[in-house]
Amino acid sequence: MVDRWLRREDERLLTGRGRFVADLRVPGCLDAVFVRSEVAHGTLREADCSAAREVPGVAGAWSAADLPDLPPMPDAPGVEGREWPALVKDRVRYPGEALAVVLGDDRYRAEDGAARVRVRVDPLPAVVTAEEAAGDEVRLFEGRSNVALRGEAGRPIGDEVWERAAVVVESRYRQQLLMPSPMECRTILCVPEGERLTVWSGHQAPHRLRHDLAGLLDRPEESIRVVVPDTGGAFGSKSAVFPEFIAVAWLAVRLGRPVRWVEDRRESLLVATRGRGQDQQVRLAADADGRLLAYELTVEADVGAYPHLGVAFPMQTAWMATGPYTTPEVHATVRSVLTNTMITYPYRGAGRPEATSPLERTMDVLAKRLDLDPADLRRRNLIPPDRFPYRTPTGRTYDSGDHPAALDLALRTLGYHGWRAEQARRRADPAALPVGIGLSCYVERSGGERGSVHDYVGVEAGEDGTVVARCGAASSGQSHATVFPALVAETLGVEPARVRLIEGDTDELPGGVGSFGSRSAQIDGAGLQHAATLLIEEARERAARMWDLPIEETAWSDGVVHPVRGTAAMGLSELVKRTGPLRIDERYEADMAFPFGAHAAVVEVDPDLGTVRVLQIVAVDDCGRALDPAVVRGQQFGSIVQGLGQALYEGVPFGDDGVPLLGYGLLDYLLPTYAEIPPIDLEETRTPTPRTPLGAKGAGESGCIGTPPAIVNAVADALRLDHPERLQMPLSPDVVWRAAA
Amino acid sequence: MKITLSVNDDAYPLDVEPRRVLADALRDDCGLTGTHLGCEQGVCGACTVLVDGEAVRSCLMLAVQCDGVPIRTVEGLAGPGGEPHPLQRAFSAERGLQCGFCTPGFLMLAAGALERDPALGEEEVAALVGSNLCRCTGYEPIRRAITRAARDHQKGQDGRHLSA
Amino acid sequence: MKPAAFDYLAPRTVAEALDALAAGAQVLAGGQSLLLEMHLQRVHPDLVADINRIPGLDALTVSDGTLTVGALVRHRAFASPGAVPGPLGDLFGRAVGYIAHPPIRTRGTMAGSLAWAHPASEWCALAVALDAVVELRSTRGTREVPAGEYFRGPFQTAREPDELLTAVRYPLLAPDTGVAFTEHRRTGFSFAQVAVGAALTTRDGVITEARIGLANCADRPLRAHAAERALVGAEVSSWAFAAAGETAAEQDAAPVPEPYADVDYRRQVIAVLVARTLREAVPV
Ligand SMILES: Cc1cc2nc3c(=O)[nH]c(=O)nc-3n(C[C@H](O)[C@H](O)[C@H](O)COP(=O)(O)OP(=O)(O)OC[C@H]3O[C@@H](n4cnc5c(N)ncnc54)[C@H](O)[C@@H]3O)c2cc1C
Ligand code: FES
Ligand code: FES
Repeated sequence: MVDRWLRREDERLLTGRGRFVADLRVPGCLDAVFVRSEVAHGTLREADCSAAREVPGVAGAWSAADLPDLPPMPDAPGVEGREWPALVKDRVRYPGEALAVVLGDDRYRAEDGAARVRVRVDPLPAVVTAEEAAGDEVRLFEGRSNVALRGEAGRPIGDEVWERAAVVVESRYRQQLLMPSPMECRTILCVPEGERLTVWSGHQAPHRLRHDLAGLLDRPEESIRVVVPDTGGAFGSKSAVFPEFIAVAWLAVRLGRPVRWVEDRRESLLVATRGRGQDQQVRLAADADGRLLAYELTVEADVGAYPHLGVAFPMQTAWMATGPYTTPEVHATVRSVLTNTMITYPYRGAGRPEATSPLERTMDVLAKRLDLDPADLRRRNLIPPDRFPYRTPTGRTYDSGDHPAALDLALRTLGYHGWRAEQARRRADPAALPVGIGLSCYVERSGGERGSVHDYVGVEAGEDGTVVARCGAASSGQSHATVFPALVAETLGVEPARVRLIEGDTDELPGGVGSFGSRSAQIDGAGLQHAATLLIEEARERAARMWDLPIEETAWSDGVVHPVRGTAAMGLSELVKRTGPLRIDERYEADMAFPFGAHAAVVEVDPDLGTVRVLQIVAVDDCGRALDPAVVRGQQFGSIVQGLGQALYEGVPFGDDGVPLLGYGLLDYLLPTYAEIPPIDLEETRTPTPRTPLGAKGAGESGCIGTPPAIVNAVADALRLDHPERLQMPLSPDVVWRAAA
Repeated sequence: MKITLSVNDDAYPLDVEPRRVLADALRDDCGLTGTHLGCEQGVCGACTVLVDGEAVRSCLMLAVQCDGVPIRTVEGLAGPGGEPHPLQRAFSAERGLQCGFCTPGFLMLAAGALERDPALGEEEVAALVGSNLCRCTGYEPIRRAITRAARDHQKGQDGRHLSA
Repeated sequence: MKPAAFDYLAPRTVAEALDALAAGAQVLAGGQSLLLEMHLQRVHPDLVADINRIPGLDALTVSDGTLTVGALVRHRAFASPGAVPGPLGDLFGRAVGYIAHPPIRTRGTMAGSLAWAHPASEWCALAVALDAVVELRSTRGTREVPAGEYFRGPFQTAREPDELLTAVRYPLLAPDTGVAFTEHRRTGFSFAQVAVGAALTTRDGVITEARIGLANCADRPLRAHAAERALVGAEVSSWAFAAAGETAAEQDAAPVPEPYADVDYRRQVIAVLVARTLREAVPV
């Protein structure tokens, strides 16, 4: 029978047999509900759980005072000394911060209990933007500045460079806060059994979670098993340990009972990690021919209320500030500032959209000043293919690329000249709505930073002829169970059906890092290919010994080892039967890689209402070798739509009290719906990374990086705006109307 | 309250509080966890099921409202012999799912519409896809999947018609 | 996000429902607003009276030039062509596509929308523009309230807590009335930032009657009386419609600021949308 399902994940997910954390049935499991602060910043006066404990079906209710031993969040390196308690002890620092936890027989009872917890928080003035907070007039931590970190990339640029330049463009941009909003919010289920604690979580980095929990609970890592079942999307937001996780794990152990927390949407929009959140200032200098001379980027990053991984993340923006151009001097400085908001954390793109957007928008302004076509201006400055590896002034060494090819393909696919002609026609017709064309060229970084560009990979041949692949990645929709076995099968020359993948279970793997930063194909994929190659070598060695041949006299083809001359041949199963278990376990390390591409957008603007209709998006993305082109296209498409969300719809408005105005959940935080999806043309160029034999680079984040500035540039182009500052994302109709006026 | 939910032709006698929403009764009391909760506010549609043949948000209905009313969930979508529904096949073929969390909702929404009108037009399909949220796929593959299923469904029906 | 506990009644007759309301029950109709609010813990009824099992409340009838919409007529009913005759049906048909999305429209009711009185509700704006009358019944009796007096503020109406909104009545529009409905919103899922419904009659190029309903242009649905006055007697022209738009925005509307739509922007949208809606509504 023909295989009905294109992906191995499909059958269970399409028949209702997927297993997400909320679906797991565990006898005696308690549901956790958190009592949350309604103020953004304040002094906790009271959190009295006594009435909650009387509610039928409530198993317990605790504030921080009731749990003096409850560990706080792990310290983030470099910014120690500002404690983030799992439950507020005395000071609320972000709206929604957990004041108490209630466990009930089910979520209904636990919420009944939560409603009876008496809390009193005396409000303090709240600061919700980096700019306000940086002044330290309101301090989040007594005696300490809100500025948690300063950093820079590249060298300061001398005054003479700016003076000498024919044109200098200056501008300011806001990269607004975004909610990653996977359709499944965060989840954790902790099941203690004797000395063991099994933790189920929709998570991107199970080993990291195990490591963190072991430290927090002060127990050996081996005593904890973290399992990642089906996970309903993550986009960066499920890769850490969170205060709620600590409370749940700690209570499960203390009570000796299973405890689960399934974040609901209302909580999620309040306390899930947010992405972006930068105020930026740029200066870009060029000579009269449009050759870039210098670029300066200043980032004020709103990193939320507690120092965490997010504090250092804006450095990603600084390191990537150079973009795809040969600009000789680039300097980026970063200030990470604490604000009374939930923490900022990686969200699909994590630092690279924030680098691409200011540069690409400023490129368009520069083109206008120089009266150059924006495509020409970019062409004059793109790093030529023969300059790779290319070391940027901000310290990156790009592995490979052909930027001009990507840009040209994007322009061709779009029908650039045709649209320019249409634009001219409409400009001559006062009744026609203006159209605009926007471009954006980007460089992405995938794999991770030095020190984390590795993962555990393994391949094992079984006696029954099957092959098990193992890796430290964890899928939240990226089709690992399909793609990785296919890759291993291809390397071994066996039927894909014979290979299966094990990941996302710390008991089944000697180690692992996880899936984030577009690293799984690049690192785990290359690693699995490598492990499969080692397995072939090991098989040949064993066969050579058996047959008493030098190894060069053996060969491998189609899953079978055989002598170069002669007909004897041995499949994997027989080899294992004869020679014992055959298993490769490797820590595979590679260097980071730099996917890249060019995006283009055409929009039509109704200046009277400020509405933007996207007529077309073209995305040319280069992720080197695509393991499964259809899966890559799926990633591209979804990522572009998230980019569309940033450009036009998504944002977090705050009230004067510092509380986000998202009380109606997804009716207030607007994710793109099908009605907003324009025609999207996906194209690709293929420039493999030389840093692994596989040649794959990350593919998942390109749309979030390349698409937003293309759209914003298109709107600015339609409105013929001289100065871009009036267009700040999201380009909601009121923003566009004001800019057009 | 004592009620009987009739889900995918199975009877589930339950004793539920009036406040229990249909989605929770299906998931926790009937053990049919294919129906997902993504927002509990009627927006995302991950909880969409068929009640009396109509696609509804099971987070915005009470279980007690459905006493004795036929309900269909994703678990009951496949044919009696486990033969996949054309929609299930089409979602896989068109890559209409990535993480799969939103998928049951889209499937039931489309199943309800297809049953009512097997000749779904482009606009109807667009309205359907525009009724639910998906954060992974960007919707276009879902649109293609529903369109393909409508085509296959019709072909299947025409086929039956011819052979009859 | 779970509702707090409540007692539940499913009355089989209007009389039983009225008794339940007299006992303090809150009506559950389509549930598409009530349950949402209960999930958000903004509404906590102790007693809920589910009216879905009362026969006859789903009637949609026309007699003597009046359309009567029963309490259980779902939004979706207005999407079928011919459900309501003439231009009134056309207008409802144009508006209904903006209300949420199909699964919500399958359950939600027009009467429920009027009972809930969301300032952005399409139905509420049309009710005031079309001189609808709301029928309210309680154990104390039955009364009829003109839509113009019924809406009192955001989520506030003239309905007493023990009154059941049993029907909404609309005078049919004359066959030569032209209608249009336009809505400005941020995505396919969002509520209207501004929505405008209009009905126009003309004779020999002169406007003889104008009805303009505004959603989300104030803390309650509005009828743009000043703009209508300015139109009646004017010749059909883009200029007249633009002027009516300005009048609606400046004199009729009382916009409330919200994220992504401050007062100035709202007025702009009202002016533009009213003009466009009127242009579209010109009878052919
Ligand atoms: C995702 C989503 C999007 C939506 N988008 C829109 C939109 O764009 N435009 C729009 O207008 N609406 C929208 N709605 C609301 C929807 O239209 C509701 O159906 C409507 O507001 C209420 O109708 P209902 O029958 O569902 O009432 P219910 O939810 O049952 O009741 C609402 C309130 O009215 C009372 N009530 C209902 N019927 C009666 C009655 N007959 N007598 C007395 N009291 C009564 C109830 O007690 C309750 O207080 C949306 C809802 C959701 C969930
Ligand atoms: S969970 Fe019901 S619509 Fe989202
Ligand atoms: S496939 Fe993940 S939300 Fe739709």
